Amino acid sequence: MAISFTLNGKAQSVDVSPDMPLLWVLRDTLNMTGTKFGCGMALCGACTVHVNGEVTRSCITPVSSVAGKKITTIEGLSADGSHPVQQAWMEEDVPQCGYCQSGQIMSAVALLSKKPNPTDIDIDDAMSGNICRCGTYQRIRKAIHRAASMQAGKAKSAA
Amino acid sequence: MLGAVHLPSNVTRRNFLKTSVAASASLVLPLYLPVQRDLHSDAGHSANHSFSPNAWLEISPDGEVKIWCGKSEMGQGVRTALPTIVAEELCCDWRRVQVVQADLDPKYGDQLTGGSLSVRTSYDNLRKAGATAREMLLSAAAAQWNVSRSECRAESSFVTHASTQRRLAFEQLLAAASALQPPADPPLKNPSDFALIGKPTRRTDLLAKVTGAAKFGLDTRLPGMLIASVERSPVYGGTPRRFNADEVKSSPHVRAVFEVKSAHLTHQFGETSGPGSRNYTCSGVAVVADSTWAAMQARKLLKVAWNETPLAAESTAALRERMLHLASEPCPIVRNDGDFEKAQATAAKQIEAVYEVPFLAHATMEPMNCTAHVRDGECELWAPTQVPGAAAESVAQALGIPRERVKVHITFIGGGFGRRLIQDYAVEAALISRDAGAPVQVVWSREDDMRHDFYRPAACHLLQAGLDAEGKLLSWRHRGSSASIETFYNGTGISPQAAAQVDSLDFPALFIPNFRLEFAVAESGMPLGYWRSVDASGNQFVLSSFFDEAAHAAGRDPLEFLLATFGPSRKIDLGNQQSLDVGRRRGVIELAAEKSGWHKPLTAGRGRGIAAAFGWGSYVAQVAEVTCDAKKGALRVDRVVCAVDCGTAVNPLSVRAQMEGAINFGLAQALKSAITISGGRVEQSNFHDYEVLRMSDAPPVIEVHIVPSAAPPGGCGEPGVPPAAPAVANAIFAATGKRLRRLPIRAADLRSA
Repeated sequence: MAISFTLNGKAQSVDVSPDMPLLWVLRDTLNMTGTKFGCGMALCGACTVHVNGEVTRSCITPVSSVAGKKITTIEGLSADGSHPVQQAWMEEDVPQCGYCQSGQIMSAVALLSKKPNPTDIDIDDAMSGNICRCGTYQRIRKAIHRAASMQAGKAKSAA
Repeated sequence: MLGAVHLPSNVTRRNFLKTSVAASASLVLPLYLPVQRDLHSDAGHSANHSFSPNAWLEISPDGEVKIWCGKSEMGQGVRTALPTIVAEELCCDWRRVQVVQADLDPKYGDQLTGGSLSVRTSYDNLRKAGATAREMLLSAAAAQWNVSRSECRAESSFVTHASTQRRLAFEQLLAAASALQPPADPPLKNPSDFALIGKPTRRTDLLAKVTGAAKFGLDTRLPGMLIASVERSPVYGGTPRRFNADEVKSSPHVRAVFEVKSAHLTHQFGETSGPGSRNYTCSGVAVVADSTWAAMQARKLLKVAWNETPLAAESTAALRERMLHLASEPCPIVRNDGDFEKAQATAAKQIEAVYEVPFLAHATMEPMNCTAHVRDGECELWAPTQVPGAAAESVAQALGIPRERVKVHITFIGGGFGRRLIQDYAVEAALISRDAGAPVQVVWSREDDMRHDFYRPAACHLLQAGLDAEGKLLSWRHRGSSASIETFYNGTGISPQAAAQVDSLDFPALFIPNFRLEFAVAESGMPLGYWRSVDASGNQFVLSSFFDEAAHAAGRDPLEFLLATFGPSRKIDLGNQQSLDVGRRRGVIELAAEKSGWHKPLTAGRGRGIAAAFGWGSYVAQVAEVTCDAKKGALRVDRVVCAVDCGTAVNPLSVRAQMEGAINFGLAQALKSAITISGGRVEQSNFHDYEVLRMSDAPPVIEVHIVPSAAPPGGCGEPGVPPAAPAVANAIFAATGKRLRRLPIRAADLRSA
């Protein structure tokens, strides 16, 4: 039976087993490989996407549970790296191997949408579900602060 | 081999990976630069001439510059640092450089990525590659202007003639340059003229890595590709006796269910795997399906009865007893200076301690995987591998085809840390593709990855030291015991010294008159491998912690004691063209201490600890600052100050990232991770029971201070790892008076210690 949802702003319908995790629908059915497989148990955050704006670990989310919902993946932020969080990530030269960074960025975007000016403790709370084995944590913190001020600057100039 | 970097004959590649100290081992490598015309395709035959004087670069008619990266990008930044070296000498506009990952090809020389070797062994060769092209472009311009070559300059993709104010873009010179003979020995730039090397350069893979576009091994997609999930013997070396293939095969979207036999892997460093080598893939049962989910779901239905091996009797507790027993008696001698027993008997003060470190998994974020397509007696691999040559060789051997018929594409690697030096996943993929008759991606689950790693060996160490009446170190004996990575790969026929997982040059060797280092191999059936910084990962914790104990026993400040033991700056000749530079060692220690404010008092419950590591051509010292609450059993690493002397820092941003990452990696070992075994099976399975460092554990501050240096580049992947754990342990002692001698340190240890 087809399951429909909105993916990065576009209507999407898939005909897969309803218990298939969203992660594998994205990666195997839709060939969108930006969202990563890391643990399969929501322990590492590599598979993080947004479902109706909420941080969601797609590896344990059955696709049936997202029917009718809005999903945003790393590909949905921008393909040219123009999203402020992507910009901040590049400014701070954050990634190393890069495998976890899609998930890190998705968690950071969600954090900043709720807390536009997060403290280090907010960052610890929001980001500790995302493991980075290369150890880019210190630069991630800096990039989140940078993105926060970029977005604040943008909001100010728009006002 | 074309372009091969030949290591000195007395130094094996294994030793290069293993060597933690090797001082300023002069890395004099004979270089051979392939000079080939039109290496890259048909460009040379068209009117729109590209210029490609060697394997490493090509300038196209639109002025874009392609530079090939011959090593694997696993986060360490080779796709930035190595092209930087070529571009520096080429004098091209860095913004017009496109980096291309090289496939496995002899023209790129040794493509092994490991041992913190990439920049070290590529530096001279890649400079020469860029300089060759630049000189040819200069000659072409000079001929066109009919001026002397020496009056022409190359800069930012232009050749200029200053006195006549003429200039030509590189792309205007391609045809003329291509017609010239490449110079055999092109002049290299004076380092003071460097425009790129030594300057911070952002990574070339940033955009791909912040947009999800970067293709890792698991992102390989081929037409008709099937996915395999493999149930491997829970005990290394076991084989399936029977399994319910028919039942599993009837699951939806399942194509095939079959046994994957164990295959011996060729030695990853090209050495001989002698009798007793246990370097093989796990045998198991493959479930091949249309999608990853289908394969994983169907695999859950598998019921396999296994033939087990003697390893099935092994446990962490029993191995620990064995190692402690071995270390309690005289062991084969690795180094012996003076007379330890005699000196120890006369020492004014004696200390003794036992240290322990556990097995560790690599736990790369991208689980093991490989995609293979076997057809018509050939095999094509898309592999996240650190040694594509070994992948080709192992696959060729397993399939019984010539090595030349194995093609290897190197993908981005989602973390290596030494795990991807072993090619088991590539061989699995090839065997399954052959038997499934289709392109196959083998996907390891996290549980597979955790339970079928090649682990950093667990070890026990017994140390004794004696201080004379003035509080100077008079005697030191270190007895280590662990399973041996060296016998695991090379076989049991090697000497006890070759099998030892300690380094005869590790500090404080050479600085204590009566010094003995002994090591006994403990038998273990566990699969073993190289884990970022290899032996030093555990040994440095032991050495720097016990040295700190000696300082406190002597009633001396640990920093002052360390510097006093080193003595004045000098070079100590080690023979074999190797020397040990005490000045550079002191340099990083003094710099880290100064930047940390070593002598500034801290409030109660806080402490500082120092540790250093020397090797891979580099020098690293770290000061950790911790806050401890012994009552609550709480521990926090507040700050780590790191000083690194890696000679010429090709890309300071990358050096900084490597040090930050190494510290976090070292802190995971210090505070979080352990693999234990019971019944020959690994007890951990995922990140809930094999913990690693998370954001909330990461120090708020890591400072990296790079010592300015014009010395040849040193390695940066590994030397930042070993000091982190002992720096923290020493800081905990400074804060609480509690000496913690077993990794990982749990906050609860603060209460019970």
